[in-house]
Amino acid sequence: MAVEEASGSASVVKDVASSMEVEAFRRLFPLQYIERYLDSAVRPDGRPLGRARPTDVVLGQVPTTDGSALVRLGNTTMLAGVKLELCVPSAETPDQGRIAIDFQMPPICSPHVRPGRPAEDACAINEQLSIVLASSQLLDLRQLSITSGKSAWVAYLDIYCLNADGSLLDAALLASAAALMDLQIPTVSINNDGKVQIVSSREKQDQPMVDAEEGQETKSKFVEGRSLKLGPVPVALTCMLHKKHLLADPTAEEEAVLQTVLVVVLDSPDKLISLYKPGGQVVATTSTVMDCIALTRLRLKEVHSILEEATQTHEED
Amino acid sequence: MVVGLSAAEKVYIAGGIAADIRGDGRGRHQFREFNIDTSVIPQANGSARICLGGTDVIASVKAELSVPPPGRPNHGKLEISVECSPTAAPEFEGRGGEELSMDLSRALQRSFLGGTSGAGAAIDLAALSIVEGKLCWALYIDGLVLSSDGNLLDALSIAMKAALSNCGLPKVEIIGGTSPEEEPDYELSGNPEEFTRLETSLVPVIVTLTKVGKHYIVDATAEEESQMTAAVSVAVNKKGSVCGLTKRGGTGLDTSVLLDMISVAKRHSAVLRRALAFAGLFSSPNVEKRPVSFCLLLFRRLDANGCRTK
Amino acid sequence: MVLETQKALLKSDGTRLDDRLPTYVRPAFLKTGAVKVAAGSAYAEFGSTKVIVSVYGPRESKKAQAFSDIGRLNCDVKFTSFATPLRGKAGQDIGDKEFSVLLHKALEGAVDLHSFPKTTVDVFALVLQSDGGDLPAIITCASMALADAGIVMRDIVAAISLSCVGKNLLLDPTYKEETQEDGSVMVAIMTSRREITQVTLTGEWSSTKASEALELCSDACQKLGESVFLVPKVCIEEIGNFAIFQLPRPPLRN
Repeated sequence: MAVEEASGSASVVKDVASSMEVEAFRRLFPLQYIERYLDSAVRPDGRPLGRARPTDVVLGQVPTTDGSALVRLGNTTMLAGVKLELCVPSAETPDQGRIAIDFQMPPICSPHVRPGRPAEDACAINEQLSIVLASSQLLDLRQLSITSGKSAWVAYLDIYCLNADGSLLDAALLASAAALMDLQIPTVSINNDGKVQIVSSREKQDQPMVDAEEGQETKSKFVEGRSLKLGPVPVALTCMLHKKHLLADPTAEEEAVLQTVLVVVLDSPDKLISLYKPGGQVVATTSTVMDCIALTRLRLKEVHSILEEATQTHEED
Repeated sequence: MVVGLSAAEKVYIAGGIAADIRGDGRGRHQFREFNIDTSVIPQANGSARICLGGTDVIASVKAELSVPPPGRPNHGKLEISVECSPTAAPEFEGRGGEELSMDLSRALQRSFLGGTSGAGAAIDLAALSIVEGKLCWALYIDGLVLSSDGNLLDALSIAMKAALSNCGLPKVEIIGGTSPEEEPDYELSGNPEEFTRLETSLVPVIVTLTKVGKHYIVDATAEEESQMTAAVSVAVNKKGSVCGLTKRGGTGLDTSVLLDMISVAKRHSAVLRRALAFAGLFSSPNVEKRPVSFCLLLFRRLDANGCRTK
Repeated sequence: MVLETQKALLKSDGTRLDDRLPTYVRPAFLKTGAVKVAAGSAYAEFGSTKVIVSVYGPRESKKAQAFSDIGRLNCDVKFTSFATPLRGKAGQDIGDKEFSVLLHKALEGAVDLHSFPKTTVDVFALVLQSDGGDLPAIITCASMALADAGIVMRDIVAAISLSCVGKNLLLDPTYKEETQEDGSVMVAIMTSRREITQVTLTGEWSSTKASEALELCSDACQKLGESVFLVPKVCIEEIGNFAIFQLPRPPLRN
């Protein structure tokens, strides 16, 4: 209602704006503040409309996990960690492991989250993340199998939002993919009864390693630790439609006042994984959707090279 | 705690404490008279009820056979929890008592359970072991606050100490299964005369010193507690060792004041323990099934003889 | 058995497994401004214990709460599920709840509640990685975050814990040391005023040992506080983002 009132008296706003300090204008008329920028084809933080914020990926930040990643997308920060545990695969999929995804927004991340009940956004993003990871070919669950029907890994992927400043799904998906890239499956020994035990790195040094084939002679055989072979990494881009403008990677401030959101997920330039448009005021035309996809294509290339760089830096360390 | 104290009442409380004569005629370092009943709950292995002025609490000990805690095969288990009855005070209704219950439980756990290695616990945990690595006693100590007029923590610690002294463990006969592979096979003695007592001499008592204005007092009433700036609860055992320390109230305390409070609490605990031992004479195993009441009318005298701090 | 644990935690030359002397604290890293959307925030690292604290407010109190003349301080502590080697172990609600209460008690004496009447200041903490001394790390970090948010405080609060293993007093213990301790002390101090805001002690301590432990802790807090004091200043002047503080090492006691 406040927005309606404000836009109804547009001329008043203009008058006030000329005599008001920028910070006060920004707080009192957030929509007009952003629209003024958009009209000159620039964003409040100086970006062109279609560009995402600078992105950092750091792998292997949390030693208590089997794989972890810290992702910064502008101010939005995500910490993802994967922990592996042994489990018995289900009867329907005897040669597959499992992945359990949990996206959390602890109260530290945003003024809108209060302790006690989980944030609405968190539930929605958790759901979207699960769908995207299940439908993309990033992780083939057969890689988490140890012995068919008897033992497999269950990967607990926990993503924590440390700083919520818009485009949470983009950052969360990137953090999840990066954590999976960093994931190291530990060496295990399988004895004759099929009992699987994790071999710690110290034991590995003590005992000479035996190949799986030669292992038949000894009591238990070893399955050497490895990292996962991942498929193409899906990349999400949150786009904001507002009047005639199309913005990529909005901040929390922009998300709060602008009209419609549309999320595109691609894993290669011509493969669409997911397209998500939850209602909103602006009806997206086909051509706008195509524009969004085009932006995501550019972003895809950018993100893939960021990930590559992160892996290299991590290996060098 | 106490709602609606007038300005005059506040001045009266603070002024009385400063003049070393409190509202009920006590000096700063005098306890209220108290009354201990033991064996108040027939189903429990041990129980005690203490009325300390208007504060009324019950502690019970329930012993169960259990498996030793992981990593410590020759230890038994000790668990403590406290509940505040909604009838004890209007603010305990609904969820109001939850936070206080947790505070009290944690303070008692801190004082009774010792370090993570099990050293310094109120009851020698090794004495609760029956078959190493397989069978042990688990003691569940529960406190219930029936009525609250200040100094709940001290009252609970005294009640728990009395309940532990009152506690009898049935005799367990090991029939077989002592080798490492087998499950132990045992028989619980049905004879009510056959039980063992716990060694409770090292169970600490807690003395809370409440700071009002510049002075600190023992055994504060609810009204006095409402005027406190800080309170320190010190658990002390027979050896004079400090077994637990908990601070309440937001105001900061100087380190030297804290150390002074610890030494004062130690002196008070000695008197309390003597009074308890006196009460203990009447709850010897022979008169086990008869509830014992002992009114410590002599307590003030004991205080005068044993612990006049000034 | 006592001998065994001592052997496991102390090497033959009297140093600890991470080469520290018993009275040394772990290298600490402190930085304000970790969470941009918050009114104030801080990140603290003590060895491999890592915590983030953000402060929101002063803002409207929850509607359900009764009217209060003075401000409220609302504290909440959470653990990530991968904070401990065993998944989800630290995330048990009871532990979190207790930490929240203890954090509140350690801070309330230092914060001037009269400076924000009728409103609430929220202090939220997330333990990213837990390796012993979690609560003192949270308390120290939270007082920095409050300073960063411009909340009026009487003083900075610094906290440190200490484990007693056998005859040894180990300052700022790691998780491994904490699991074998016979007793522990945690002290939170307003460092300039030298006043203890929160103290807890467990296990059996002789009076002399208890006072030695308390003094050791307050000395360490003092030194920690001196370093913490520099951090907000650094941020106000905007000299770089990072400030690393290696705590000065207290002399070894016999």
